[in-house]
Amino acid sequence: MAPDPDAALMVAFQGGDASAFRTLFEKYAPAMVSFCHRFVRDHARAEELAQDVFLKLHAAARRYEPSARFKTYLYRIAANHCLNEVRRGKHQPVREQPHPDAPGAADPDAHAGSLPTPEEVSQGAALGRAVEVFLERLPANQRAALVLCRFEGLSYEEIAAVLDTSVSAVKSLIHRATVAATAALAPFSPAEGKQALR
Amino acid sequence: MNHPLSDLTAYLNGALDPERRAEVERHLEGCAPCRTERERLAWASSAIDALPAPPPPSPQFEARFYARLAAIEQPAPRGWLASIRWRYLAPLGAAAAFTAVFVVLWASHGRRQAEMAAQLELLENYELVASVGSVDGPEDVAVVAHLDELREGRP
Repeated sequence: MAPDPDAALMVAFQGGDASAFRTLFEKYAPAMVSFCHRFVRDHARAEELAQDVFLKLHAAARRYEPSARFKTYLYRIAANHCLNEVRRGKHQPVREQPHPDAPGAADPDAHAGSLPTPEEVSQGAALGRAVEVFLERLPANQRAALVLCRFEGLSYEEIAAVLDTSVSAVKSLIHRATVAATAALAPFSPAEGKQALR
Repeated sequence: MNHPLSDLTAYLNGALDPERRAEVERHLEGCAPCRTERERLAWASSAIDALPAPPPPSPQFEARFYARLAAIEQPAPRGWLASIRWRYLAPLGAAAAFTAVFVVLWASHGRRQAEMAAQLELLENYELVASVGSVDGPEDVAVVAHLDELREGRP
């Protein structure tokens, strides 16, 4: 395994170097907030969850062993925390208001109905909303695998390490999630959308 | 013909080993339904990828985290009762209680021994006087009770 500078920082923190932890925090804070946001879609709650992840990392420093990549270790803490959050049902995802400059934000009906209008389709905002709803409805383990693959850029091997499962299980989780996406997003597909919206 | 449908997503994600990837590519060249499925999966994946990134952490994010960390590392001051280290004090207290009970029982036992000795001595006096047949009235009983003093020559 290639030398992992982040693991070296974690070892330095174990040795009492507080600045090493601060460096890791600054490097991974945006990724952790983004990752948690994919599970709860509430920015304030996502920040709380990301802080929880770093508190767990801080508390686990004494037990840390650099046997795997630090990034994998951190995402494992984050994935477990977010999956527990979802499974406990502590959080009900909220529909966040889009940024005022975002396409479709001025449309008062953009968040009202279940199916978007063709105009929304043309703007692309509805597709984004449909993807968010699709992710929200995915089984938790499929969602975790898909988010780690598509948004966090982890390899199948890294996802298997994060989710503490086999590579073949990860392959199956991501494939099933992608097949489900083709069905859920079919009305927006260039090939099938015309028929579905007709 | 075995359609490699379950491998198509891994194929698109570059997660197949070279040998399997070559097999899937050979199959796709001659199988239109699998090519259609590959396009559907590729489109769905790109739609997911196009989801806007969540907002970055707020400016207060770091300060809030370190405030939470400080609260954990330096817990609020505790009351005097809570500050007692019961883990160490409890065994000492138990030992002290045991000693106190032992002392009380031992003292009680000593007192009973002394009382019994006095009763035995009195009984001996009675037996001695009774053996000469001279205990007739209350005055004789009082003399028996104080026979030791008389023996020692006290008034």
